Amino acid sequence: MGVVDVLILAVLILFSFCCLYPIWYVLVGSFNEGIDYTAGGVYFWPRVFSLDNYALVVTDIRIWKGYLVTIGRTVIGTLLHLFFTSLVAYGMGRRELPCKKFFNFVNIFTMFFGGGLIPYFLVLKILGFLNTFWVYVIPCMYSVYNMIVIRTFIAGLPEDLHESAVMDGAGEFRIYFMIILPLIKPVLATVALWTIVWHWNSYLDSMYYVTNSDLYSLQYVLMRIINESSTPTGSNLPPDVFERMNPKTVSLAAIIVSTLPVLAAYPFLQKYFANGVMVGSLKG
Amino acid sequence: MKKKKAKFTKAKFEITVMASLGVIFLVVFAYLPMFGLVLAFKDGDHVLNISRAIFASDWVGFDNFRQFLYDKDFLNVLVNTIGLNLLQLAINFPAPILFALLLNEVQNGKCKKAIQAFTYLPHFLSWVSFAGIVFALVNMDTGIVNAALLKLGLVKEAVDFKGDPAYFWGMIVLTSLLKGIGWGSIIYLAALAGVDPTLYEAATMDGANRLHKAIHISIPSIAPTIVLFFIMQLSSLLNNGTEQILAFQTQSNLDRSEVIDTFVLKYGIRKNMYSYASAVGFFKSAISLLLISVSNFVCKKITGQGVIY
Repeated sequence: MGVVDVLILAVLILFSFCCLYPIWYVLVGSFNEGIDYTAGGVYFWPRVFSLDNYALVVTDIRIWKGYLVTIGRTVIGTLLHLFFTSLVAYGMGRRELPCKKFFNFVNIFTMFFGGGLIPYFLVLKILGFLNTFWVYVIPCMYSVYNMIVIRTFIAGLPEDLHESAVMDGAGEFRIYFMIILPLIKPVLATVALWTIVWHWNSYLDSMYYVTNSDLYSLQYVLMRIINESSTPTGSNLPPDVFERMNPKTVSLAAIIVSTLPVLAAYPFLQKYFANGVMVGSLKG
Repeated sequence: MKKKKAKFTKAKFEITVMASLGVIFLVVFAYLPMFGLVLAFKDGDHVLNISRAIFASDWVGFDNFRQFLYDKDFLNVLVNTIGLNLLQLAINFPAPILFALLLNEVQNGKCKKAIQAFTYLPHFLSWVSFAGIVFALVNMDTGIVNAALLKLGLVKEAVDFKGDPAYFWGMIVLTSLLKGIGWGSIIYLAALAGVDPTLYEAATMDGANRLHKAIHISIPSIAPTIVLFFIMQLSSLLNNGTEQILAFQTQSNLDRSEVIDTFVLKYGIRKNMYSYASAVGFFKSAISLLLISVSNFVCKKITGQGVIY
């Protein structure tokens, strides 16, 4: 190993540290007692260890409502997206499709021009989506980009499969359900991971389209907790514990609680995510 | 024979139904909003009944456009939007390329994998939690960043990175770097993996050092990917990552943090100025479309192949 190797490695390791340390910093802060934390200097290890921040966060009903909404939208939204987008992708890829140019244009054009936020908001309002759970799942049931990714994958399957199924008298919907759907699992897994992360992390739709706080998704709840300057009340913690609390450390615990599923799943799923980017790039 | 033909039409019908489902979705969620852009030419502000705002309000031509184009606040918004994008184009665009080139030099496979795993991680955190983390790091009393700057004597008193508009752009660029370098490098790493290793061997025989090899082999071989992504970036000059901006925006840094997307949100949804905000949105969409068409044309001239068509 030469000097250059060491230097390059040093730069890369330093950057890796910059990526990991912030998470560690938050973890450490979340386990530190609130009042003690305000003195500063809690950087690498909790100074006065305490579980009070978590005790307060887990009794905060908003967090659990947010969890429920986010899990709901992630599961329902992802399943709906996979089913609908792959069905359209199958249709869009078949050569039996008449007016192929028209169908393609209608899809591609939306990738480059849109009505913008306000007319979109008004359409949601007219259709009665505002302040309902469905605003999270129906408008993102379909994505042109993912349709193209899935269509590209289907195009790589042998055409014989389709022919023999037609010989057996199967209709197109049947072929899609019985033959295509099982075969495109790899690409569906990739798109599913993208969609799951997207649903888990999104908060703008809660901010824009939802005013009922029972329907706020987890990340938006978290945002409101972070922006709060006072410790949330209404918990049944003993008053002496409560006095030692600090909104800063409470919000750190809230960050950890709402990010935990991502952090826990990451080590197992990381390589699949990277594969997915390759699938997406194939089309170009 | 007749039966076979009937079957063929049925298949054709079913396939058309499938593809049409996508069209129906797009008509509702993409084309209907485009039709809603007529609002931009009408006086529909504060008219809460939307169908009345769209159909019954007066045509005002380009009045709404004139109103924001002559607005001093809007000029500032435009400066923020374009400034932030140019800054990101200059810094956040080349960073993953450099990162990929450096990572490509690491011979040890395990080491490389570990660095990748660590640097991809921030990409999966939401902007909300990431902003929360950054706010904790730069906090004036308890954050490590201010403590370090004070200790090193770089600043005399703690800096309000969260509230001071002067630091907003820097914060956006830096947080985009942390979140995006690792993930953004994947595409370039893939391109680098495709380079014929005999090229490097031949260069070594000719006495080329690593820098020579990077400049003359690695960079040219990923150049098409770089051009493609650069043009895609250029064409979204008026798009800011709204999720990121809104997560970092505070009341006190609005001077530097208000961009077109957040401006539209404020006027359109919060103040019910549908027509005014639609006009701003239309202005943005139209310029974006123009930018895409121009970049596609330029790309076609340079590489012989368009990005889009």
